[in-house]
Amino acid sequence: MQEATFHALADLALNQTGQYIAPAKAYLVATRLSALVRREGFASCDELVACLQARPNPVFEAEIVAALQTRQTWFFRDRDVLARLVGEIIPQKLKGSKSGRLKILCTGVSTGQEAYSLAILLGEHSQVLRGARIDITATDICKQSLNIARAGTYGHFEIQNGLSIHRLLDHFTQLETGQWQASEELRRGIGFRSHNLLDETAPLGHFDVILCRHVLSGMGRAQRQKAAHRLTDKLAHGGLVFLGEGETLTGATDRLEPSHRHRGAWIYVPEGQRQVA
Amino acid sequence: MKTCLIVDDSRVVRKVAGRIVSNLDFQVVEAVDGAEALAKCRDAMPDVILLDWNMPVMNGLDFLRAVRREKGGGAPKVVFCSTETDRDHITEALRSGADEFVMKPFDSEILQSKLAEVGLI
Repeated sequence: MQEATFHALADLALNQTGQYIAPAKAYLVATRLSALVRREGFASCDELVACLQARPNPVFEAEIVAALQTRQTWFFRDRDVLARLVGEIIPQKLKGSKSGRLKILCTGVSTGQEAYSLAILLGEHSQVLRGARIDITATDICKQSLNIARAGTYGHFEIQNGLSIHRLLDHFTQLETGQWQASEELRRGIGFRSHNLLDETAPLGHFDVILCRHVLSGMGRAQRQKAAHRLTDKLAHGGLVFLGEGETLTGATDRLEPSHRHRGAWIYVPEGQRQVA
Repeated sequence: MKTCLIVDDSRVVRKVAGRIVSNLDFQVVEAVDGAEALAKCRDAMPDVILLDWNMPVMNGLDFLRAVRREKGGGAPKVVFCSTETDRDHITEALRSGADEFVMKPFDSEILQSKLAEVGLI
């Protein structure tokens, strides 16, 4: 891949989704675009970019940036966070809620395993959460990933990664193809939506809990700051943001700070209380 | 160091699984069928058993029922590893005393995740 081609594709990803791709990861770009290149009949990424520059096509550009995204995910990733969320934090929040309703947002959900893991855990805690209405909205920028997530259908390797055999039997049905599909109840409980975290115009509403895990760390500095601000726009009063293990917002925004009450969570800092950098 | 008994009549599967669990700091013991595995369990109960279904001499299910009747045989975590992956076979394995089930083929992530499920890593 020519250097100019890499930079054109890396800039496209950075501008549209905030994803930062280091030059050392040029091989990843070629790998992730190989199926698109083949499908469109190009000989290489160089040809694809040359065509795009001659005839700009926003729909195809969106498909390219979606293909460049990291899709790696598995069931019950960072399981301690999910367990704490469902076992401690959600019951506490419900106690302080008049409506008995909570809204949870999973951003960058890719093929949906995190949202299904959360829905499974909520079901397992149904006795404690009796009477509560908990809405899960799950978003991603990649429509292809969202189609897999909506279908809730996973292959041999995906279904076994992180999911116990007992949960598999309880919540999934084996299809004739050999794939496993999430129960209708699980699928109905999650609203999957296409959404770009950097998009200021698309409203999603306000959420009591936002899971934004392993998303911001892959972004450029300015884009990470912008995305962090978009997250605060989506937080309900007293809402919490959870990042992935090892991720931080320190230095990216003064609008969120680590919660003293809930380990691993970030909370909104009102304007007058923000620390001046 | 925890011990993992790998019971499979395929040398390739024993080698692949052995390498994965060695990297997870398990000491590996191998058996080619249920009868040999039972003898090794009578000698020393392992912490976990990765168990194939279809094997000569004594199959995985017969071994599982037998080992659970042995003194101390309730202790090892048993992870079935089989190409018999329909719901009925999986349910039968669990009813017979298996703790987890891996559908073959598997990779290191899957095996690691299943060992985590049974609390061994």
